[in-house]
Amino acid sequence: MIARTDRAGAAEDAGDAGDAEVIRRSLEEPDAFALLFDRYAPEIHRYAVRRLGDSLADDVVADTFLAAFRRRDRYDLTRPDARPWLYGIAGNLIGRHRRVEIRSYRALARTGVDEVAESYADRVDAQVSASAVQKDLAGALAGLSAGDREVLLLVAWADLTYGEVAEAVGIPVGTVRSRLNRARRKTRAALGGADPTATEEERHG
Amino acid sequence: MDELNALREMRAQAPEADADRLGPARERLMAAARTAPAGTATGRRRSGRPARPRSGGLGRIVPAGAVGLAAALALVAVQVAPTGPPGGGDGAPATPAVTARYAETAVVLERAALVAESRPAAAAPRPHQWQYRRYVTVQPNGDGEVQEHEEWLRYDGRQNAGYGLDGAFRVQDVPPDPGDDDLSPEKYAERLRRLPTDPDELLAHVTGDRHWIDLPKEDPGGAEPPDARAFRVLSVYLGQRAVMPPELEAAIYRALARIPGVAVELGVRDAAGRAGLGVFHRPAGEERERRYLILEPDTFRYLGSRTVWLRDEVIGGEVAFPAGSAYVTAELASTIVDRPGQRS
Repeated sequence: MIARTDRAGAAEDAGDAGDAEVIRRSLEEPDAFALLFDRYAPEIHRYAVRRLGDSLADDVVADTFLAAFRRRDRYDLTRPDARPWLYGIAGNLIGRHRRVEIRSYRALARTGVDEVAESYADRVDAQVSASAVQKDLAGALAGLSAGDREVLLLVAWADLTYGEVAEAVGIPVGTVRSRLNRARRKTRAALGGADPTATEEERHG
Repeated sequence: MDELNALREMRAQAPEADADRLGPARERLMAAARTAPAGTATGRRRSGRPARPRSGGLGRIVPAGAVGLAAALALVAVQVAPTGPPGGGDGAPATPAVTARYAETAVVLERAALVAESRPAAAAPRPHQWQYRRYVTVQPNGDGEVQEHEEWLRYDGRQNAGYGLDGAFRVQDVPPDPGDDDLSPEKYAERLRRLPTDPDELLAHVTGDRHWIDLPKEDPGGAEPPDARAFRVLSVYLGQRAVMPPELEAAIYRALARIPGVAVELGVRDAAGRAGLGVFHRPAGEERERRYLILEPDTFRYLGSRTVWLRDEVIGGEVAFPAGSAYVTAELASTIVDRPGQRS
């Protein structure tokens, strides 16, 4: 994955100091926190773009790192990897724009035009008109509860493990598992009912 | 294709941002870093926020060298200077210089309640007034240096101000942070006004207060015993000196007296060297660290806190805080002013 390669590069530059060590150092030398920004801002920006579109992502990233910086004295230093913590903060900030996010899924499901993909289309050669599968997926995403959607997208778009999602969202791993199962079941149903237990109700749920 | 893989391909062409694009966001972070107070984190009243029982609360400490004072699971020598003889780095007991003395918990806390009740109520601040706070801290395993901090926080929590590392005074916006469970002075004041002033009702309320159970997100799933939680939440409220209604302060002391395991040790010193009454909670299970709320012996005002490690705390295979380390704070001023930069 592109994101992972970049992270490895940043870590080398920093002489391999783990995230917890960087945060610990930043308590005395606040500037040191910039290292976390350089490690994770690119991928968190991409995650915000994917959920909200290009225009809101800059503020989400800036606010995520400001909030993290202000809270760094409460970071649990026994956790070497700060990535889940940062995605948790970003997720809360993305959640403030829930209506924007849902509207884009609904529009995509209805018209096949993805406003979010259009928003970054001038930066990359992106496919703006969606496939039938993506229309159905968007419809399913619009119908999920905020908590279920958060878990599903942290797994699918941020590549977090179950344990990392638990850490990011602040819920037990068992709850992550049950939320993800429910979200996947509904999504599968929307893709054409590969799941024999899928029902019409779920399809519109 | 399974639904998760299909989802992974959706909007997969979204690009990562490059350094140019991220420049302004990075600059905002660096501006905040430049204005951060030296030595400890930026925090709004962080030291008013007691340590969580296991992992939490460590981060607010700045680890440096190693100076230990007291013994594992022994009572803490409260009158040894922070630069005293090192000991207990491997968990071995050091010799306490003074034997701890205890007060009659119920008597002391009832007297504290009576004195608190007699205080006049302060006028409610306006949203654009500022809460000024000056406090000192001593880090647990540094060289015992007393660090002084000053901060101004607008009553509505939207801005803060202070002197940065470069000595310049700055006022800055506080970014939105829906995941933060700390509150603005205004929200604390609202919350305090709503709390029951009957000690039993107050205790029941804080024992089950969802706000402080679900969060912080940094510490998910930590099962905290109800008594420990009640002590911790009451401690958070007691730290809100500038907006504390007298009848609530009285109720807090009476509620503390009702929590099993709460005791009062005499002569516990804050970071300014003032000796006071050290109210602490001894849990039913293993006690890893002890946090004293230090009260002035005559006025019963909150002076500061002292957190003492009773066992070595190991982080990443290293002893970060040897048994006997202490993180100590002292409140020097906490008041409402009209403008940032004013001290009274």
